[in-house]
Amino acid sequence: MAEFWRRIWILYRKDLLEEFRSMDHLWSTVVFGTMLVFVFSFAVQLADVSTRQVFPAVLWVSIFFLSVVALQRSFAKEKESAVMDALLLACGERSLLFYGKFLFSFTLLLLLEAVVVPLFWIFLDVDGAGVNLGLFAAAVLAGSWGLAAVGTLLNGITSQLPSARLLFPILAFPLLIPLLIGVVLCTQGALAGQGRSTMGWLYLVFVFDLLFTILPLVLFDYILEG
Amino acid sequence: MAQQNALEVRQLRKQLGHKQILKAVTFAAVTGELVAITGANGAGKTTLLRVIAGLARPSGGEVLWNGSSLRLDSRQAAYVSHQPILYGSLTVQENLEFFGRLYGTADPAKLQELLELVGLWLYRLEPAAVLSRGMQQRLAIARALIAEPALILYDEPFTSLDENGREILRQVLENRRPRAVQLLVTHALEHLQGLPFREIRLEEGRSVPKEAAHG
Repeated sequence: MAEFWRRIWILYRKDLLEEFRSMDHLWSTVVFGTMLVFVFSFAVQLADVSTRQVFPAVLWVSIFFLSVVALQRSFAKEKESAVMDALLLACGERSLLFYGKFLFSFTLLLLLEAVVVPLFWIFLDVDGAGVNLGLFAAAVLAGSWGLAAVGTLLNGITSQLPSARLLFPILAFPLLIPLLIGVVLCTQGALAGQGRSTMGWLYLVFVFDLLFTILPLVLFDYILEG
Repeated sequence: MAQQNALEVRQLRKQLGHKQILKAVTFAAVTGELVAITGANGAGKTTLLRVIAGLARPSGGEVLWNGSSLRLDSRQAAYVSHQPILYGSLTVQENLEFFGRLYGTADPAKLQELLELVGLWLYRLEPAAVLSRGMQQRLAIARALIAEPALILYDEPFTSLDENGREILRQVLENRRPRAVQLLVTHALEHLQGLPFREIRLEEGRSVPKEAAHG
């Protein structure tokens, strides 16, 4: 078991090293996220609606599109360098690749959200009074976990197909509907200062996360089979 | 003395879609043997290596290593492709360290020894992407050797190598002989001149039953 996690950590570190060495993809995704903030805040102000009411939907639509842009390159380096065979032989287990990539994707999403979420909060002028910050943070963390897990799983599937960039968002959306419902309602409840009454939706998100974290342990062996 | 290992391939079949790539491949090899696998384009040579390595599942037959099924998680095999499978943005040293750590062996002295063996020690801090194709191939060879594999699979490894690189690879093949079973796919047997090897020819997915010894 320790050896399993040790190799995952090595994969994770390597991906972080590569990402922060070039920074191109990270910066372009940050710019994309910032553009989403500006476009939505402009549109919401024009529509003259309560920002507290639209904030959950706007936030999670943006994070969804951000994750599509950020995560669909999970296996890109392995594909471009044709290094997958060497990596599989060194890892010995295909599921190791999932967990290494998943951790990297989760980290990437959190870094992007650290920029985008406060910007949305500011530009949509959300009133912080009475907000259940703990529930809000839990929703963001759990939602990001689920996005990263599904994103990595689908990337593993689509990376071997010629139309990967097209297929990834098409496959991601229906799979992520339960997660999106849960996190939007959790965020809505957090903004309204709710707690216990919203926990059911948070539990739904947790179950979703658990399912898509454990499933690849079995599935990835077949997904990356040559 | 290095451990004696035995590879046995029995009636191996592999189907991809509707096409039967491998139909009935049978052969055996032990530590100390270099087996050259030859055949026309599309005969299934690369597919054979990938199935033996555990990178692809066979449709039938079996691959045995010391009498037990050879699986990907046994981590006994190393693979040298005709493509230099490396991370371009990592340096020469980082590529080797990364794969070494995955195998649980990243001794700096050993990494230096390998890089000196393939003539890349002076380039250790260069990104792999800026190396010439031949130098990338040499790094790929070093990467494959990092864990002292008991089974080494070479798929057209002489591709892109200059005369110096080909000589390095011949030295590797000879140096590894006492410690590994080596299977090498090649179109050019002349590159193995001076090395003892056995030839197995694939014809339309089947191994030719008669094997000629060379060297």
